[in-house]
Amino acid sequence: MKTIKLIIVLLISSYFISCSSDDDSETTEMPEAIVAKRIDNLHAPQTGGQGQPVGGNFTKFDFATGQITSSNTDWDIAFRGTTIAVNGGTSTGTADEPIRNADVIVAITTNTFGEVKEAPDASEFTADADGTFAIPTGSGNGWYNYNPQINVISPIAGKILVFKTRNNRYAKVEILSYYKDAPTTPDPSSDIARYYTFNYVYNPNEGNKNLE
Amino acid sequence: MYRIILTLTICYSSIYSQNDTSEKALNTTKTNYLEEVIISATRTKRQLSSLPLPVTLISKSQILKSGTIRLNEILNEQTGIISIADESGFEGIQMQGISSDYIMILIDGVPLIGRSSGNLDLGRITVGNIKQIEVVKGPSSSLFGSEALGGIINIITETPKTEQHKGIVSHRIGSFNTQDSNLNFSKRKKKLGYHFFINRLQSDGYDLRPDIPGQTVDPFDNYTFQGKLWYNFKDNLSLFASGRYYFQNQELNLFLDEINYNGTSDLDEWNTQIRLDHRPSSRLKFQYEFYYTNYKAGELLTNPNSNEVLSQSNFDQHLLRPEVRSTFSFSPKNDLTAGIGWNHETLNRTFFDEEVGFDSQYVFLQYDFYPLKNINIITGARFDNHSEYQSQFSPKISLKYDLTKNLSLKTSTGYGFKAPDFRQLYFDFTNSAVGYTVLGYNVATDKLQEFIDLNQIADVVVDLDELNQPLKPESSIGFNFGTTYKTRKLLIEVNFFRNEIENLIDTRVIARKTNGQNVFSYTNFNNIFTTGLELNTGYKLTENINLNLGYQLLYAKDKNVLDRLEDGDFFARDPATLETFRLSKSDYFGLLNRSRHTINFKVFYDIPSWDANINLRINYRSKYGLINNTAGGNDILDIFDPFVEGYAITNLSINKAIYKSYKLQIGANNLFDYTDVQNISNLAGRQIYGKIEVQF
Repeated sequence: MKTIKLIIVLLISSYFISCSSDDDSETTEMPEAIVAKRIDNLHAPQTGGQGQPVGGNFTKFDFATGQITSSNTDWDIAFRGTTIAVNGGTSTGTADEPIRNADVIVAITTNTFGEVKEAPDASEFTADADGTFAIPTGSGNGWYNYNPQINVISPIAGKILVFKTRNNRYAKVEILSYYKDAPTTPDPSSDIARYYTFNYVYNPNEGNKNLE
Repeated sequence: MYRIILTLTICYSSIYSQNDTSEKALNTTKTNYLEEVIISATRTKRQLSSLPLPVTLISKSQILKSGTIRLNEILNEQTGIISIADESGFEGIQMQGISSDYIMILIDGVPLIGRSSGNLDLGRITVGNIKQIEVVKGPSSSLFGSEALGGIINIITETPKTEQHKGIVSHRIGSFNTQDSNLNFSKRKKKLGYHFFINRLQSDGYDLRPDIPGQTVDPFDNYTFQGKLWYNFKDNLSLFASGRYYFQNQELNLFLDEINYNGTSDLDEWNTQIRLDHRPSSRLKFQYEFYYTNYKAGELLTNPNSNEVLSQSNFDQHLLRPEVRSTFSFSPKNDLTAGIGWNHETLNRTFFDEEVGFDSQYVFLQYDFYPLKNINIITGARFDNHSEYQSQFSPKISLKYDLTKNLSLKTSTGYGFKAPDFRQLYFDFTNSAVGYTVLGYNVATDKLQEFIDLNQIADVVVDLDELNQPLKPESSIGFNFGTTYKTRKLLIEVNFFRNEIENLIDTRVIARKTNGQNVFSYTNFNNIFTTGLELNTGYKLTENINLNLGYQLLYAKDKNVLDRLEDGDFFARDPATLETFRLSKSDYFGLLNRSRHTINFKVFYDIPSWDANINLRINYRSKYGLINNTAGGNDILDIFDPFVEGYAITNLSINKAIYKSYKLQIGANNLFDYTDVQNISNLAGRQIYGKIEVQF
């Protein structure tokens, strides 16, 4: 029985491969494997806040390498405090923000991470613009809630950020924590904020919306 | 025959009285009713058991036996009523799952003002001069207007009973150096009657967290003075006047960033009521009433080293209310009541630009009749015209059907409303530490424009034209259906309730500031319901032992949340993996600070041979959510969120009379010393007390 199953699997895969090669006559390469990773403790410091003017450099992230980068061009998204910038659109006008030099856009979807199987329609994506970030700032507006009673920033469950990267690839991100080492119940007096932990899935195949 | 005479006596002597006043006290020598009488439900005197509404009466003897000293304590022991602190620590009463904002508190028929974030702290009210407490559950706006959406609690204070001078003095001393002293003094003679009352309460406060500096409750002392006067000009014309003054001083200590800030918190409250009762004929009665009240609160916190002021706030509210009421009796037990009045209310406080005022005029009408011998119907309505919001029409109907001598059914339905309060309309507050702003609805457009002119606004997220529509009052439709079975030994009352509340006012984001924070303002959006079952039983086990058991089952939920849950819009985070999963309807617990189950159990044991009695009361509330645990990934209370654990508080009291004029009492509140340091700061540990009362 086992061998028969294996043969069927082989037949199916070769069928799909041949299909895709029919569609995409230029290349017969196998599609690159989808990357699923977790980033721990991405540090996103800022200066000011608490009523003072906010400043400081953003921490930039590149989906293609899956790494933080100091490059001024090869980045997709950037973090500073609770603010997330995309490398697309125009400057928002906040101090010390990175120069946009690509077309990264983002769509905020409401779902579980696993159920976002495909990037949404182009109409749902936006870029940063003068005065507004594509991922809105402020409690309850974008990716987080701020609870003044316990003074804790919590990612809103079910907010999945889908990005179209600067190289026309798609990625989905779920932010898990804003505190160092992602404590289950953050204690603002002992846990250090501005450390992002997030899961992401990146499809390295150009234009391919599949995010499973 | 005797019953008829009694009924006539009640009808003709003082049926119309707002509180138990002049004529009953002055014109008749007979002061003991065969049955308990309640006046808040209809604004006429009615026998408690004859009413078609869910009402609770707490008698003086129950208050005295229980050894409670403040109103919140005794109310907390009644079925379906709990005294709670909200997430900011403000205390108030919750009834049928409806919070303090929507429950009107009256003293002798006139309303109290002075709320903190909507909560009226009943710890302000001493029970030392209370004759009885009347609680009417369900919408009562048809008689009392705004704020009576969820029901009313009317405190009836003492009246002079005898022609001799009668004085009672008592002193109670307890844990935390809590000392409560009372002096009651009354007399009536021919045309004149009076009652004077003084209460003083002091406490050193308590500290649930000795490990951190400062106390949980700082030391305070407060005084209540009340004087009441009756005078009969003629048999059919009498005057009633009452003045009440309450003040409290509390020390404040706050440890912040290693600095011990200190200061004071002061409360002052005045109530003045004057009423003329006129009875042109035996069937017709008029009451002309004038009421004025003022509530002031001030708080100041400074750094003692630098004299720098950390925070200062003031609150000064006034209410003036003339009202005329009239009742015409077509026949005994067939009454038409009408009223007309005017409310003038002002408030000046920190975070308001200027003093603001409301004016409203109202009329109400009520018809109370028996279409059949065993069916009573009370129907009525009230119309409120208001300077700041839409006029309101509040109808109500209730019906009682006596199936047998022991068994009756009652049902009532009505409309209730609460006007937007001053804070929701005029607040202008910016949190200096974090940078967010909260604006009252009526000032939001102008204030927002000021921020825009200062280039502080990044983005306006609502349609500003929308803000020009007036904010709607919160409104509810309440329904009660119950049955009562009563024999000499047994009482069983069951009541099903449902309150559908619409246009609940809450904050929403109206703009984003350039500092990344939000500008909030108020709007109507939530629709909630509270529904459940109340059960009240009493059983006379022996001649000397009475048992009482009360239970409330409660579901209180937000309908918008239920709709969004159906759409799959809510998620929660797995605490282990931090990944999210979708919530279903059954995962939703409901509104904050609502316990599914509350139970009270009481035993009263009389020992006539010793002239003593003992009572034990246990109050239980099941688990509840106190704050929006956004760490769970959403802003609703789901079953995966942390809850405040359920708990029971046991109170014990022993009373003994010596000779005729002395009474001794010892007791313990919170006998088993239950505390929840993290969540319940207003629950002190065990408090032992002793009291002596002398009558002269």
